[in-house]
Amino acid sequence: MQLTPDEIVVFSVGGLNVNVTIVNTWIVMALLVIVSMLVTRNLRADVPPDRWRTALEVIVKAIQSQIEEITPNSARHVLYFAGTLFLFIALSNLLLIIPGFAPPTASLSTTAALALSVLVAVPLFGIARGGLGGYLKTYIEPSLVMLPFNIIGEFSRGISLAIRLYGNVMSGAVIAAILLSVAPFFFPVVMSMLGLLTGMIQAYIFAILATVYISSATAQQDASASAAPKRSTVLSQEPSALSRRAPGLPQQPPPQTEDEP
Amino acid sequence: MSIDWITVIAQIANFLVLVWLLKRFLYRPILDGIDAREAEIARGMAAAGEAQQKAQAAETDYRNRQAQLLSEQDAIVEEALRASEKERDTLLAEARARLEQEQKDWLAHLQRERDKFTGQLQRAAEETLLELTRKALRDLADATLEETIVRHVSARLQAIASELSHAAGDSTGAVASTREPLSEAAQQRVQAHVEQLLPGIALRFETDAQQAPGLVLRVGGAQVSWTIDSYIDEFDAMLNERLAAGTSGRMQAPGG
Repeated sequence: MQLTPDEIVVFSVGGLNVNVTIVNTWIVMALLVIVSMLVTRNLRADVPPDRWRTALEVIVKAIQSQIEEITPNSARHVLYFAGTLFLFIALSNLLLIIPGFAPPTASLSTTAALALSVLVAVPLFGIARGGLGGYLKTYIEPSLVMLPFNIIGEFSRGISLAIRLYGNVMSGAVIAAILLSVAPFFFPVVMSMLGLLTGMIQAYIFAILATVYISSATAQQDASASAAPKRSTVLSQEPSALSRRAPGLPQQPPPQTEDEP
Repeated sequence: MSIDWITVIAQIANFLVLVWLLKRFLYRPILDGIDAREAEIARGMAAAGEAQQKAQAAETDYRNRQAQLLSEQDAIVEEALRASEKERDTLLAEARARLEQEQKDWLAHLQRERDKFTGQLQRAAEETLLELTRKALRDLADATLEETIVRHVSARLQAIASELSHAAGDSTGAVASTREPLSEAAQQRVQAHVEQLLPGIALRFETDAQQAPGLVLRVGGAQVSWTIDSYIDEFDAMLNERLAAGTSGRMQAPGG
């Protein structure tokens, strides 16, 4: 029994093995992008939306409202990041019902990659929100003694994210495979249905946790900013600056915050 | 269970590409479309609000104008009522005056008709009375009316002869006036009585068409006469009394 689809190599390019995880990831990406392109082409404000566009609007607005419940006044790039996490994981897990399709999220490499993305995105969002100094200051709060614990906590977040998603998806797939060999007619169907449910829940949990981490990183900046009036004035200009500057992830801290202590 | 780090790096790259692609083809078009539609709805709501404000303003203006028109209507109706009451009073006063005038004219006309009728009746009564008296005297006493009148006046002249002579004073003439000329025999009889009772008085006979039938003998400032006027006056009094009684009876009849 294979516990990860990474071991199945589809083809090799220049000595690099392209495995099933990567190919299936491309399939999921293609599905998401093609559906989005088909639905969102020729959008006009004066034309009432059709059912597909309405469905996508419902999904996007639901994601946006969930994010806004966690992080009020959040910029759009949080939606881009967390929403993409949710959609990718959810669709990957939904495709579990297709026989022979190995969800990319059943690979520890994929979940580790997503967890690493969150791990990197959290400080980037924090730095974009409050500057590098303001973000690094959060590691020594409430005192310098907490620095190693904060660092360990930061990394353990990513590891727990990766292991949680991998474990749930992989276990669903493994349990389905085991039951398929034991009782091939009924239980695999039930387990696949359960796998759909847990897959959606895991997608939700992963995206929500990523948003919570980003929110905690930016909330600490806001809490520190609320204590200093001068800094709050500077930070009030940031969302618009971020939305103009960053197409996806923020690349550099805003220059206004570099002078902050 | 192992981590293929090449796969991890590829998946990170895939994820970043997916973030960019979804931002490009999903989030931005959808959110921009929602924003545009919300802006369109907001514009529509603003236009609707503006239209509502205009409608409210128009409604207020309409209500004000309606109230003004009602007030003007009330004023016009009140003015018309006052004018109609004034016109009614004027018409009533004119009608009352015209009625009073017509009543006066009618009463005057009635009085004239009554006087005319009374005059005609008097004349008819005079003629009738004379004819009847003359006929009665002729049938009963075998005498003419003129002789009887002369005899009556002579009898009264004899009774007051002294008073007449005293009233005559220095006057030496007497006048016997009748409406119709007296017969020769009657004139001689009157002449004889006057010469016997009032010696020295010259008697002269004359006629007066305006005088009532009878004989009037004037001596100086006194006179002795018998005319039918007293009877006619009595007849008039009786006639007026009966007419008044008949008129009051008709007046009281409608009221019970």
